[in-house]
Amino acid sequence: MAEETLIEIKDLVVRFYTYAGVVEALDGINLKIKPGEILGLVGETGCGKSVTSLSILRLVPPPGKIESGKIILNKRDGENLNIVDLDNELIRKIRGKEISMIFQEPKAYLNPVYTVEDQIKESLLLHRKEEFLMRALDSLKKSGKETSFEAKIYERMLKKPDSILTRFLAKLIPKKVLDEEIRKEVINLLKSVGIADPERVAKMYPFELSGGMAQRALIAMALSSNPLMLIADEPTTNLDVTIQAQILELIRQLRENYKSSILYITHDLGVVAEICDRVAVMYAGNIVEVADVYKLFKSPLHPYTKGLLGSIPRPGQEFISIPGTVPSLINPPKGCRFHPRCQFSMDICREIKPNLVEIEKDHFVACHLYQGELKNER
Amino acid sequence: MYVKSKWDEIKISWSFRVKEWKFILKRISESPLAVTGIAIIFGFLIIACLAPILAPPQGPDPFIVPQDIEIATLTPNPTPPSTRHIFGTTDQQYDIYYACIWGTISAFRVGLSVIIIALLIGLVIGTLSAYYGGIIDEILMRITDIIIAFPGLLLAMVMAITFPTVLPLDITLLTLIITAIFSLTLIISKSRRKLLLAILAVFVGDLFLYIYNPIIIPLNLSKLDKVLISLALVSWPGYARLIRSEVLRVKSEDFVEAAKVAGCSTLRIIVKHIWPNTIYSLIIVSTLDIGSIVLTAAALSFLGIGAEPNFADWGQIISRSRNWISRPDLLVANYHTFLIPGIFITLFVLGWNLLGDALRDVLDPMIRRR
Amino acid sequence: MLLLGLSENQALLGDLHRIIFSLNLNTPPLFFLQIKMVSLLTYIVRRLILLTFVLLGVTLLIFAITMLLPIEVRAMLYARNYQHISPQGLRELAEKYGLTRPFHEQYFTWLSQVLQGNLGWAKSSSQPVLEAMLSRWPYTFEIVILAAPIMIFLGIYLGIQSAIHKDGIIDHICRILSIVGWSLPSFWLGLLLLSVFYGLLGWLPPGPISDELRQIRDSSLFIRYTRIDLIDGLLNGYPQITLDVLKHAILPVVVIVVINMALLVRVMRSSMLEALNKPYIVTARAKGLDEKTVIYKHARRNALIPTVTLSGMLVAGLLGGLVITETVFAFGGLGQWAATAALQLDIPAVLGYAMLSAFLFVIANLIVDIMYAYLDPRIRLE
Repeated sequence: MAEETLIEIKDLVVRFYTYAGVVEALDGINLKIKPGEILGLVGETGCGKSVTSLSILRLVPPPGKIESGKIILNKRDGENLNIVDLDNELIRKIRGKEISMIFQEPKAYLNPVYTVEDQIKESLLLHRKEEFLMRALDSLKKSGKETSFEAKIYERMLKKPDSILTRFLAKLIPKKVLDEEIRKEVINLLKSVGIADPERVAKMYPFELSGGMAQRALIAMALSSNPLMLIADEPTTNLDVTIQAQILELIRQLRENYKSSILYITHDLGVVAEICDRVAVMYAGNIVEVADVYKLFKSPLHPYTKGLLGSIPRPGQEFISIPGTVPSLINPPKGCRFHPRCQFSMDICREIKPNLVEIEKDHFVACHLYQGELKNER
Repeated sequence: MYVKSKWDEIKISWSFRVKEWKFILKRISESPLAVTGIAIIFGFLIIACLAPILAPPQGPDPFIVPQDIEIATLTPNPTPPSTRHIFGTTDQQYDIYYACIWGTISAFRVGLSVIIIALLIGLVIGTLSAYYGGIIDEILMRITDIIIAFPGLLLAMVMAITFPTVLPLDITLLTLIITAIFSLTLIISKSRRKLLLAILAVFVGDLFLYIYNPIIIPLNLSKLDKVLISLALVSWPGYARLIRSEVLRVKSEDFVEAAKVAGCSTLRIIVKHIWPNTIYSLIIVSTLDIGSIVLTAAALSFLGIGAEPNFADWGQIISRSRNWISRPDLLVANYHTFLIPGIFITLFVLGWNLLGDALRDVLDPMIRRR
Repeated sequence: MLLLGLSENQALLGDLHRIIFSLNLNTPPLFFLQIKMVSLLTYIVRRLILLTFVLLGVTLLIFAITMLLPIEVRAMLYARNYQHISPQGLRELAEKYGLTRPFHEQYFTWLSQVLQGNLGWAKSSSQPVLEAMLSRWPYTFEIVILAAPIMIFLGIYLGIQSAIHKDGIIDHICRILSIVGWSLPSFWLGLLLLSVFYGLLGWLPPGPISDELRQIRDSSLFIRYTRIDLIDGLLNGYPQITLDVLKHAILPVVVIVVINMALLVRVMRSSMLEALNKPYIVTARAKGLDEKTVIYKHARRNALIPTVTLSGMLVAGLLGGLVITETVFAFGGLGQWAATAALQLDIPAVLGYAMLSAFLFVIANLIVDIMYAYLDPRIRLE
């Protein structure tokens, strides 16, 4: 029963070489993302969620480095690519096109000196240029100007996009029809993300937008090329709760319309419960549990997950917190990284790091508690 | 957890600062450019300290460059480096080596004093302006704008020239102004009644003294001193602006709010909370400026406004070369008169610039880290 | 904080630091920029008012300083012949020219004269102040118009390269050259270059123009359209004059470029590094843009902002006169004249010069503010 996977991360190790020491940010993680699903990636700050997402697009900033492992992308046309080994040219074709990303502080992640329209236009021209050139040509045909200079330039841009003459000519004339087509699409995109007055917003600069609007604009930009997967790195953390609800609803709708997978990174279990299909829990650079969202909330297996769920404040119930603090990743604990804080820790936990094993159907845990059982069952 | 004694308290509160300084020192020592800069400054420091040994003064005032009388009777022209004069002599037979060695002390003196004076004035004005805002800010900033708008070098020149050689320092007037400012600050901040009364008493007593028997001390200013003062007066507005913008930045931080809520007096907030957080930018800027000040002072000496003709100052020695600007052959023949002192200046300024740059690389991220 | 403008050496250290630190604060570095832009016209009008205010303040300041001089010294300005004046004669002169009247009277008399176009008589050069400045300004302008584009474009280019290849060879070379360049005394560099290129090689003499060609220029055959020899040479059909001026200007231009470019490279480098670390660069990369576009389209535009403002201020300072460089190369421009005037305590000349410099400074500020508003929409629309 080969289930489809869109992205498969295998034994990914990422290290950061800093002044203070070598940070073992990702300790050989394994993760599968299925097409069309919303996978939540939860964990505390510093557990490696963002590093994981950046690794998928190979955007890990120096002094970080992907040491080993594979990230396999299964494209629409059946092609399988290992992102880790990919050429720079090829990875750029994936970024923004097959896999898009949105971030936490939308206003900071938009270039302050360019309008919203300019920035979305940049994406559109980068990934869907031929489509718009064709549309421009069609529109010129309809208005009977198919032999005009402009039309000839568009044809040339389609046929010989890389020649110097083409580029020179393209810069020379104002490409009015092309710009118009793109502008229409930008307005459409902005409308589709729920912005009420798209014409006005398009001409605005990022600092003029509210957080919610900026995030919608970023989402519009990310979805403009109909990607296979959208990585959302805590997109609603900095927004008001009401806006957060709107954005979550938007994301849900967009999954329906575009059929892309979404890797939703957050530390908010409430959000996870709201929109995720499956959830992966991370702790200190390791994935400790992956399960269907209902299963996870109903019967969490890993002690850390249990602790997380137990620590949600509920009126009338005792507030349980996990003792201790997140370990420094420069000198992480040997064996299972959670063992110093775990109430169930055994001797083996101090020595050997538990692997992520499928305990029940589609329910993976990395904990010796369950692996011992499995061994016993066999 | 009991704190054993006051000494322990102090140790704990300082341990963080010490850790931070150690980190800074470590980062600095890792940068080769920084180490070079420090080495250069250190070298000059040693020269300055050993000046009496390296170049024994020949007269009551060590800053007067000796002239070689014997050669002077033969020729007024400069002599190239020889065993008699290691760096050679200028016209009128001034020993270049001596001027370079003792010029080091002049350089340190000019650089450090101008910066310190300008810093002090700028600190007071900038902090007042930023902290109290409103009309005080407006007025003070307009004043600094005017001074900054001015062609600086020209202003310094004019000031250096017009400054009287004997400055009658009216101590009573000075005390009057200082006590007035002090009491005004205390009145506005509504604190320390007893201190305010004491200062007002001094003010009133001084007022009587001023009216009936002012105490005036005549200060003799050498030409270099005048340059010093004028440079300081031209530089303080820049510092005032920098300090103002830093204080404004820190003022809006949460811990200042917290301090206010906790009931700290204005003075305490400024001195213990705001100033320590502005220190990093000040250190960087001052270090870089020492080099600039020395360069400008040398330029002023070159133009003839700085030190007296026989004063041991690098710029002064080079200014003698102006005679040969239109005489190319002489200019080349007497290259030693400007080449070596110029190297001294460049190295000195380079040392401070390297240090300042390195400090900026180290301290800037720390400012941002906050 | 150093002396704005004139010390073409360390011009604007104050603003440099403020610009660099304000990169942290995301606030505009120019002090005039706290005024919100109601509309462009209102903005300009308000700035012009500020200009007058600053000009008045500047002249007041100089006037006040010159009052420190003893009256006899100031009276000497009006004496035909220094040697033959007795202290009594000086005092009479002082009376005659109103030097004993109260400060505000003297100031307002001077001010009213200025408003009628009479800037006074420059004793140090025996001509009216206005004429002295106008006749010398073209020489300064020649140097600045040649030096400014080179130092700005080269400085920006090297700064960007330095930032992109951080810790690479280019970066290290640029950093060392710029630190050393910044540490060089301009007069020393000038003397060195002069001794090598004039003394040793005889190629590039000092002065603005060679004597033979100067005679042609001063003759009636030559029409001085702009009074700038560089341009007039071509307009009159004497290209050799233009070439000659270029030849004479090379060394002063080199001195200015070396020293000021050092500053620009450093500022550009640090603002570029800052921009490259910003979040929107991650977005740009995540969109799939090639590195070149990320650097030149996204990062550079943001990084140019402080550099452009700094360049504007530098050029304003330069236009006001290059005291040291002009003196070393005997170029006969404003700076050299102002220095001589100051040395001789020629107060009308100094006052006139101060006004010109302050005027240029505020205009430059205005232009820089407008450029800044153009580059950074946050200022425009806030």
